Order: sequence, then C-alpha cells, then structure tokens
Amino acid sequence: MLEEELTSQIIDKESYKTEIARKYTSFLAQYPEIFSDLIIGSNFDFALYESIDEYDKESPVDIFNVYRNRNGIELKPGRAINSDLELALSVDAVKKLIQTKTKVEYAELLGSFYDDPDEKKGWIDFALHKRTQTLIDMGYGKFAQTAGILKDDDDIYSI
Amino acid sequence: MSKVQQLEIKNKYTGELIETVPADTPETVRKKIKKVHENQHLLREMDFFERAQLLSKFASKLRFKKKQLQDLVVAEGGLPIKYSEWELNIVMNGFKFCDWYYQFLEEKSLTSIEGEQLARIRYIPHGLATCISPRNTPISLPLYQLGANYLVGNGSIVKPSTACPLTMLEAYSLMEEIDLPALDALDLVIAPGEWAVDEFLKSPLVKTIMTITASHTAKDILVRYGRFLKKTVDKSMGVAMYTQPFKHFFFECAGNDAGIVMDDINLEQVAKWNVMASFTNSGQQCFSMKRIIVHQDIYDEYTECLIKEIENLKYGDPTDPDVDIGPLGSRRILMMMEVMVEDVKKYNAKIFTGGEKIDTGEDYGLFYKPTLVEIKPELCEDLPKAPFLWREEAFGPVRSITKAKNMNDAIRLANASNYGMRAVVYSSNLENIEIFKNELEAANIYINARPMLVDITVSLGGIKDSAYPAGCKYYPQELVYGKYIYDGTPLNLEKIK
Repeated sequence: MLEEELTSQIIDKESYKTEIARKYTSFLAQYPEIFSDLIIGSNFDFALYESIDEYDKESPVDIFNVYRNRNGIELKPGRAINSDLELALSVDAVKKLIQTKTKVEYAELLGSFYDDPDEKKGWIDFALHKRTQTLIDMGYGKFAQTAGILKDDDDIYSI
Repeated sequence: MSKVQQLEIKNKYTGELIETVPADTPETVRKKIKKVHENQHLLREMDFFERAQLLSKFASKLRFKKKQLQDLVVAEGGLPIKYSEWELNIVMNGFKFCDWYYQFLEEKSLTSIEGEQLARIRYIPHGLATCISPRNTPISLPLYQLGANYLVGNGSIVKPSTACPLTMLEAYSLMEEIDLPALDALDLVIAPGEWAVDEFLKSPLVKTIMTITASHTAKDILVRYGRFLKKTVDKSMGVAMYTQPFKHFFFECAGNDAGIVMDDINLEQVAKWNVMASFTNSGQQCFSMKRIIVHQDIYDEYTECLIKEIENLKYGDPTDPDVDIGPLGSRRILMMMEVMVEDVKKYNAKIFTGGEKIDTGEDYGLFYKPTLVEIKPELCEDLPKAPFLWREEAFGPVRSITKAKNMNDAIRLANASNYGMRAVVYSSNLENIEIFKNELEAANIYINARPMLVDITVSLGGIKDSAYPAGCKYYPQELVYGKYIYDGTPLNLEKIK
C-alpha cells in the first residue's frame, strides 16, 4: 500500500511577530512527513527564544502551533490553548536549522541542539503539557526519533 | 570512628587533584538528617505531578550543563567520555519523563464480588530515605536515588562515593541555583560509607536505607543493623523487646549476568553487542554480561569473533573520544581482577586474550587489559568449588566464556549462580525464546536486545543475591507502601448513626 502524501497549510502567514518564525514555518512546511507519526488532532507549540534566560522567564520572541490534521499539518501563529507540549528553540538554532538542505540534515542538526545545547551555538528543549504516557500514545516518541530529538541507542553509545 | 576533615578528589587517569571537599562528621550527618526530616512536609505539600514537573525542568537545566558534568564524570570517575554520554542521558531522560512512573503509584480502586467499590489501595511514601551510591556511576544512580525520593515525596539524603562525589555536588548546586522547591528536604552526605551507614541505622528518623552496593556489603549492613538492634533490647518485661522499629531496606546489589549465544545467530553482529554488554565502563557495571555461554556448534568460531572484537577495544585516556576502556576506579578492583585470573589459572583455564595489568604503582592510571577466559562447563557444576570468576561478580574487564551442549544445558549453566540480576539471550529460534523467558532465573530478561538501552522502561532489581527485596523494580515503587482503605460509609452510615 502506498503511503498517503501529507500536505502542509500555513495559516495567517502575515501575523507572525518575527521574520525568523515566518521563515521557519515555511521551512517546516516542506517536510510534513516529519509529523506523520503523530495521531490526528495532536498539536504542539514551537516557541522561539532569544536566550536561556528568556526561556526561564517563559518569554518567547515568537510562537506558532503545528496541528496534525487528516491531510497533514496546519501551521498557525500564536500559542494553542491546549497544546500537547512546547518545543523551545533558540533563535540561533532556528537560523541554522532553516539553512539545512535535506530532512536528514535538519534532523541531525536538531538532534545536536538537544544533545549538546549551547547558549551561543544554539539549543532546543521541550516542556510537556500532558502526561508522558499520553504523549507516547499520541506518537510523540516516534516523532521525536524522526525529528532527530531522541536518538537511536546505537547512536548514543557504541563501542 | 573515622572523622576525615577533607577529601582530596583526584583524576582517575592522571592523578591530578581536581578538588578538595569538606567531609561530613557524625555531628553534621545527624544535623542533616534532622533538617531533612523537618522539611519533608514541603515535598508532601506538592502533588506528584508538581514534583514531576519540577524534576522535568531540572532535567533541562542538567542538559544545559551536560558538557561540564561529562568532564567531571570522566575526571573523577575515569569513565570514558563516550560512555559518560550514556550515563548522563539515562538520568536526564529518567527525570525529563518521570511522570511516567505514576502508573506504579496511582491509587487503585478494588471491586468486591458484590460489585461494590469500597476498598482502595493508596500509595504512601515511607518517609526519610538515606541512600548509599556506588563509585562506578558518579551521577546516574545517586541522582536517581535523590530524584525517585523527591518524586514520591520522601525526604532523602544521598551519600555518593567518596571517590567521586563532585558530579553529584555539582548537580546539587544546580538544584540550589534554580531554587528547586523543597530542596531542604534533600541533602548529600560526603563521608566514608561505614560510619555514615551506622549513623543512618541509628537514627529513628530514617525510615529507609537504600543502597547500591556489593551483595556482601549489603549483608554486612544487615549484620550491623542486627548488632544495633541488640543494643536496644529492653528486658524489663521479662522477655526481650526491641525498642527500635523496623527500617525498610532496599538493596540493589551485584550481578553476574549470563549471556547465552545460540547457534542460530549472526556471529559478527552478536559479538559486537556482546563486547559492548561485557566491557562497557571497563566492565565495572552490575548489569554487565559477565558469564558468556555459547552453543558448542559455534563455540570456536564465535570465540574467535569475540577475541577479535575485544582486541579492537582501545584503552587509555578516558577523555579521548575513541577510548573504550578507561582506568579502573580503584586499586581494589585491579587486585580483584588479578586474584580472579590467578585463581582461574589453577583450574587450567585458557586465557584467550588479556590477563595483564598496567599498574602505575599509584592510585590512578590503573588498567587491566580486557580479558576473556575459558571456564570448562564441568567446573560450574558445584558452585562453592567453582572458580571465583564464575561464582562471584567480576567488577572489571575480565569475562568468562563457557561451552553449552544445547539450550537446556545453556539454561542450566546460566542458572548456576548465586546472582540473578539480568540474563541475556541471542537466538533466532522463536520457540526456544519462549523457553528462555520462562526458565532463566533473573529479574530482567533481555532477548536479542542491543545493550545499553536508554529507555524509561528499563527496570532495575534482581533476584537471589542481586537485590533485596527480589524482583524487577523501579525505584519509586520501592519507596512507597500500599495502604488498604476500606470505606463502608456508603453502606453503613445510617446504621452507625
């Protein structure tokens, strides 16, 4: 059976506060298949921060939400009322992520920002809004692997 | 009683002094116990999910300090940098997703035969726990002990190994830096194990003693507890009555894991995993594959593959990202490896590779070359007479390999041990796999698994001398007790009014 091709829809593109968030949504819209493991109806926020201090203060420079619908993903500005989690990214990380040329390259870089977070080079983190077990059941564990955030054990440690 | 004022923490590879830290005295330990006890209520004022969220946030903070923590783990622990990644990831993931443990602590409603739901099981934290941590994991196990107690609402005091307390001190400083709520209900004790344990045993405020240690050391703690109890006996009523209440003991001890390799597998692939499972952290792991049991039809060929993989292991400077084997944690480990290899030689055992030490003559830069020794199956028949290497835990880079005639013989050999932490099987025969799952005597069975899993579901525990109480377990489960509550009010309120 052929897998159904997923589509992306960017909503209200002009309402983003920052250019970097606008660019990032356009970039993510190229790869809706990254979100294919999430169950329909799941949604989470991408929050962009200037620094770790701003992250501590929960004060992002911009924020948008990705919603997994029947056809693919829907990206819209602002925070969702009942998002499953927040993926926090430093602006420096996003600047580098949108320069990547392939989905694999993107996932590797995203993973490195999680594995070796650095205030200057870039970092990502996430805050869960729902119980871990619920998120696993919604497909977030698989998503995190596809997106490069959770690594395969062989990648983490091999002799 | 030893009252060390200062502890010098040295680099395990270079011998350089990393830091001098003040040591606790019996008086300061008692003060800490009192402080933690008095502040334990701060934890209980939060619910499980509040505490879980705080630990999850702390995990993020730890990750931002990962590089610094990794360097400390390598320096004071001697762990190779490539392994320190695993050491940190396992604890950071555990904290990040710690609400997952709620499934073991969630209050349960029981349905009676009549269909009524009047009875419930509620899980209650035991109370102040004191925890003793081993030297081989400078952060993952001590931090897990602290975190698991925080999660369930127990005040706790962790005593990291005096050989490598710096990483835990750094983690604790980070808790202070982020002003972790209820931090006064947690503390660290930097002190030699023996008298710290005595202080923990003596204090009526301490409800749980949780240790990760050698099985013999755990038994010694029970002996000391017995001696202490004896001093508390009151005979004024004409019979011996002990005035101190029971403590809850929770021991994670040694492993002597069997790894069975059957004749229906890809030898090269399994040999690679076998080496990782056996020699990670220079074999200084309780859950390391220590007794390798191989089907006779592939024995020679598999041994050859294994030797090749073992001889590819690079040992040396643990900061080198290519190094697999770092320095041993202590001279005692080096001595144990020598004793085990010398002992097995008396049985005319064949040493396939290794069997040599690198001894600087100091207490740093000590290595034992990754070693593989053949132990004949007939030597394993009578356990008390079997070589040390078979019957005791080799907590270093020396491993045995033994030939099995068939599946049943492999199971018999695997079970011929006083330990039962994990057992590992590599086989592609689906029927046999089911038999292995049922017949192997261990609390954790891994079938065709890659070693060094980083997953929230990875369980601890053991049977026989590997753990007390027995069974696979997650720390939070062991730090609470079940309270049965039968509430007949809906049925009987009118009758008793």
